[in-house]
Amino acid sequence: MSEAVYTSPLAHLENTRDAGNLSVSMSEVSDRGMIDLRGEAGSVKFRQAAKAALGIDLPLKPRSSAVKGDMTVLWLSIDQWLVCCPQNKAGGLVSTLRKNLGEIHSLAVDVTDARAIIRLEGDNVREVLMKGSSIDFTLPEYKAGLVRRLMFAEIAALAHIVTDKPCTIDIYVFRSYADYTWKWIEATAKPAATIGLFGKRSG
Amino acid sequence: MTGKPYRLPETAATGSRIDRSKQISFSFDGARMTGFAGDTVASAVLASGRKVMGRSFKYHRPRGLIGLGSEEMNALVGVGEGGRKEPNLRATQVELYDGLTATSQNRWPNLDFDIGIINNKFSRFLPGGFYYKTFMWPRSFWEKVYEPFIRNAAGLGEAASEHDPDTYEQMHVHVDVLVVGGGVSGIAAAHAAAATGKRVMLADENPVLGGVADISAGEIDGISQTDWVAARQAEFEKSGNCHVLTRTTVVGHYHHNYVLAAERVCDHEPDLLAQGAPRHRLWKIRAGRMIVASGALERPIAFANNDRPGIMMASAARGMVERYGTSPGMNGVIFTNNDDGYLTALKLHETGVAVSRIIDVRKDAPSALADAAREAGLNVQAGAAIAGVETTSGGKQITAVKIAPYAIGRGRVVNEERVECDFVAVSGGYNPVVHLWCHNGGKLRFDDDIQSFRPDRHGDPITVVGSANGNFDLKTCVEEGFAGGETAARELGGKAAKPVKKPMVKAHNAGPIEPIWFAPATGKYNEGNKHFIDFQNDVTAADLELAQREGYESVEHTKRYTTLGMATDQGKTSNINGLGVISDATGKRIPEIGTTTFRPPYTPYSFGAIAGTKKGELFLPVRRTAIYDWHKIQGATWEPVGQWRRAYCYPQAGETKQDAINREILAVRNKVGLLDASTLGKIEIKGPDAARLLDLVYTNMFSTLKVGKARYGLMMSEMGFLMDDGVTVRLGDDHYLMHTTSGGADNIVAWLEEWLQTEWTSLKVFVTSVTEQWSQFAIAGPEARTVLDKLDSDIDLSPEVFEFMSYREGTLAGYPVRVFRISFSGELSYEIATPSGYGRGLWDALMQAGKSEGIAAYGTEALHVLRAEKGFIVIGDETDGTVTPHDVGMSWAVSKKKADFIGKRSLDQAFLASKGRKQLVGLLTTDPQEVLPDGAYAVESIKSAPPMKMIGHVTSSYFSPTLQRSIAMALIEGGQDKMGETVSFPLEGGKTVEAVISSPVFLDAEGKRQNV
Amino acid sequence: MKASPRLSRTRNDEMLIIQCPVCGAEGDETDFHCGGQAHIARPATSNPDNIADGEQRDYLFMRFNPKGLHFERWRCDRGCGKWFHAARDTVSLDFKAYYGITELPPADVMKQATGQWADFFKQATAGRPAAKKTAAKKTSTRKPVSTTAKKS
Repeated sequence: MSEAVYTSPLAHLENTRDAGNLSVSMSEVSDRGMIDLRGEAGSVKFRQAAKAALGIDLPLKPRSSAVKGDMTVLWLSIDQWLVCCPQNKAGGLVSTLRKNLGEIHSLAVDVTDARAIIRLEGDNVREVLMKGSSIDFTLPEYKAGLVRRLMFAEIAALAHIVTDKPCTIDIYVFRSYADYTWKWIEATAKPAATIGLFGKRSG
Repeated sequence: MTGKPYRLPETAATGSRIDRSKQISFSFDGARMTGFAGDTVASAVLASGRKVMGRSFKYHRPRGLIGLGSEEMNALVGVGEGGRKEPNLRATQVELYDGLTATSQNRWPNLDFDIGIINNKFSRFLPGGFYYKTFMWPRSFWEKVYEPFIRNAAGLGEAASEHDPDTYEQMHVHVDVLVVGGGVSGIAAAHAAAATGKRVMLADENPVLGGVADISAGEIDGISQTDWVAARQAEFEKSGNCHVLTRTTVVGHYHHNYVLAAERVCDHEPDLLAQGAPRHRLWKIRAGRMIVASGALERPIAFANNDRPGIMMASAARGMVERYGTSPGMNGVIFTNNDDGYLTALKLHETGVAVSRIIDVRKDAPSALADAAREAGLNVQAGAAIAGVETTSGGKQITAVKIAPYAIGRGRVVNEERVECDFVAVSGGYNPVVHLWCHNGGKLRFDDDIQSFRPDRHGDPITVVGSANGNFDLKTCVEEGFAGGETAARELGGKAAKPVKKPMVKAHNAGPIEPIWFAPATGKYNEGNKHFIDFQNDVTAADLELAQREGYESVEHTKRYTTLGMATDQGKTSNINGLGVISDATGKRIPEIGTTTFRPPYTPYSFGAIAGTKKGELFLPVRRTAIYDWHKIQGATWEPVGQWRRAYCYPQAGETKQDAINREILAVRNKVGLLDASTLGKIEIKGPDAARLLDLVYTNMFSTLKVGKARYGLMMSEMGFLMDDGVTVRLGDDHYLMHTTSGGADNIVAWLEEWLQTEWTSLKVFVTSVTEQWSQFAIAGPEARTVLDKLDSDIDLSPEVFEFMSYREGTLAGYPVRVFRISFSGELSYEIATPSGYGRGLWDALMQAGKSEGIAAYGTEALHVLRAEKGFIVIGDETDGTVTPHDVGMSWAVSKKKADFIGKRSLDQAFLASKGRKQLVGLLTTDPQEVLPDGAYAVESIKSAPPMKMIGHVTSSYFSPTLQRSIAMALIEGGQDKMGETVSFPLEGGKTVEAVISSPVFLDAEGKRQNV
Repeated sequence: MKASPRLSRTRNDEMLIIQCPVCGAEGDETDFHCGGQAHIARPATSNPDNIADGEQRDYLFMRFNPKGLHFERWRCDRGCGKWFHAARDTVSLDFKAYYGITELPPADVMKQATGQWADFFKQATAGRPAAKKTAAKKTSTRKPVSTTAKKS
């Protein structure tokens, strides 16, 4: 038997990186493993066991994230996190989590294949997102590290602000919406449609 | 005059908006015309000497330009061609560009000769409410005669019939202070608010800021209003916290300062479209404070035949001259009841346009401006009114007015003076634009000083300033605006770093206004003497009076009966005049009559803006499984299931859909088939109380399920009706995997969360959706195991080891898999799940492996026929939210042991257990080739005509290629006791199909085929 | 003309912008899901064996329809996914309070309830010392269910 064939959610596109003709740069992040982790944030045992497996404290502040090395943990709810790691480590990490958590009431599931991630970079990213979402991405607290679940272009999505300068935001959507989301951004992020909200204009 | 009859010579006082060095060519009703850059369609057409720009809605009377901006209700045009055509645009707002094509509306075959004008001749038969009166009898005429006639005659412009090639978009923005209106009040407000560092947005519907600053008298900060506006605008653009939107109409105000604004991005410059700019952009604005500085609109005066081409608003006449260097005519008459008419008279006089008479309703014309007019040698006639007009034939152009002393009443004027003129500039005073103030419940009060309604109270954080607030003098406009902006920002915590200087204003005081709601006419009232109130809807003073006589006392009833202030115009110019006429007719004061409701939008905006990006392939979000591209390459036809696109069937060359479906079914029954079932809902459920939760949400028992085994479960709503079903597998002691229907995937996970969070809060269970993590395929058919056996696997597939309704985890052809031995087709079947990234690879491997067995991919229709042959229900086909497990013959799945589960108590209610309920049965048509339509009704007995008592309906119906006959399932009253009886289904066209009630299981009732 | 001032206005005290008391997320109404009337006890949870038809009917179908202060269930749909309670004025559309899904309204808001709600809270708090809120949670705050069956 031949090797198992693996395809990313946007692999059907000719290019999983924009052709430089948009007001943002856009690419698929296809090498990220994801784990859905649920547990009681109030339980010290749970937090310790999770930390022992992940090497990182779970972020407890709403809409925050924690980063260490190649691991990023995104806060999803008061009892839910999305653990992001290199894809080849996800399976092992789920096993370690389950082992460490043992009888502690929790759930750790590999959901690497459930979502597509589209990375947007550039000065115009916030504006493009606000064309599809009622969230105010210009608020002061919307800076690197912030995680926000939102309705984006009429679908459920998650935005993670990775860096501020340059502005890098990862958009997570369920895998089946990957193609739609990509095309929506392609259609919306046309340079001629740039508004330059509150931008200073010379004159 | 430069070859264009009405274009004035270039001076400092004329044509501030146009660039005479740039000629623009365009067409109006097919005629090629030229204008200048900066012109509107209205100004350019008028400059060419053409006064008739449209026909009226009901009477098809020729109509000319009347306004200057969005209040225009006569000169409505369709602009653009093909898919880009947009109807009902106000010619006064359409900016000229090279190649623009505009067409007038409400006329056939053309503007000069219009068949519909016959309505005018018969107008005595078209009184207010005529639709309600005329088309009542005979009743049988309604459908065939009246309705088509009304539909033909109704409406304004024609919509485009082709696809719109342009793009549109929407934008959300959150601002501290939103200022609506870029006149001097709004600019002063934005100026003060922006100085505090708060985020300010200023929106104006015109291409340039300033409102009427350029056609009004007075200075600000020692410079002209226009220069002051330009200085502020330059500051805004540099500020970084004040965003100015021009060509943007704030169309609606909703709860919590949610505001919609429609921006026309490319309409003035179509070249931008080619670069990829959206044609229109709809702004969805959240504002901490909103400042309404929407200005005021001049109102017409109701005099006899006040709609004739050449009669326009005084401000519009002035604006045409000052902005576009276009005169409304050669020889004008001014008709006014306030100072504004004099501003126009003086400006016309200054630019060399003859003004033969100023007719002022006010006795003695008490104002400084009147004195100035007299000094300039103009003929001012005080205490008078226009009693009629003379026109060329067809009413296309006025030639003279008749003037008589003004007296309140409806009497007939006899001593009139005739004054020749080719245009009349009318000012009946100003109405504050209170539409936005009123959209979300703002209250109004009537002010005798301005003879109009002005804003009073509002529950929302809104301020209204300037002439929108009924303060028409420049000083108050600017000062109120400034104070409003400062206060709004301060209330939000904004404070200017250094104090901003309040603008200083120099302006004259205006004289008073004299109300005039009706000018008596020379002829017999209402015979050839129409006093128009609502020009767009062709509502006259006589119509309103008739409505009062007929008892429409409430102004809201009068509005609907006469159509006053309805449709796109929303009473911009007609509202107060209409109330004035009603006041005269009823003797009630206007505040006692009250006003009608102003509804969004303030002006119409395009469907494109409403749709935004939602067009073409982005019309709806479309969900694709990992196998989507394979289905597409195979030529699959699609079935939308929620937002998913599932393969319906795979027609091969020369096959019809039905051929393909039959082939796919027979492949599963005789060989092997492969189905993409990835859309099935999948939920992981884990925790010490997982089994307890499942026992509560399913009708049957799951705590007794052994690890590694699967069980089919039914879910009810709390009312005892079926809502979902699926197979749940026990992965571990405290760990289950639930399958739901495709449509229920999102709902059911939310349903479980809801119960856990709100009712059974002590249960320790976590649930999480893994629907999209897994691609899942059903490989079904007698050869299914043979095919799987060809692939490397660590799973023992032998029937003794891997039994029906059990589960294994392992690898298959190198892919990580979960294999469930379950069957929805009744055949030997395995459902194989693999992480979605591997989905396509495994699918290809399975298709490859099954080649020699003749494997066929099968779609959702084959799936449905296969399950129907076996009598398996589909939630949503056999159930409709009123069907219980008992009704579908699945009482076996309802636990009698469990004390409580969702829906249990309701299911015990007497009426859900009663005998006569509709029950699921099978149907075998007497003609085996006859396939009943879905939803066909069964009747107790066939009669020659309805009504016939209905006893049930068909829920699923197919041709079964396996049985070579038609099969159907139906819900029939007491059906389970009617086996073998014949029921009738009357169909369209008098046809009746008969069918025998049978068991819904048509094939392999013992279940031998799946258990091998 | 100046609109009536809102002295303590923050962006979450007005209609259609909602703030989740669980995670603090603020957003449009469309980011949330309204689950209908709050505080409806499910008879079967406490006593599955002995529920009169009328009691079950009331539980499923009878709802308050107050003009003024109302108490509702909402879910932070696009945020943390948690349910919470909200007190909302059906006339002004202002949210008066957000509180936990297993809690009764804050005492000062509960006091403002009128009509059926006033009666309801009187009963719900009868004989209960105000301090022991936690003990009362489970019996006093029940969920209603959607009144239409969900379909696949």
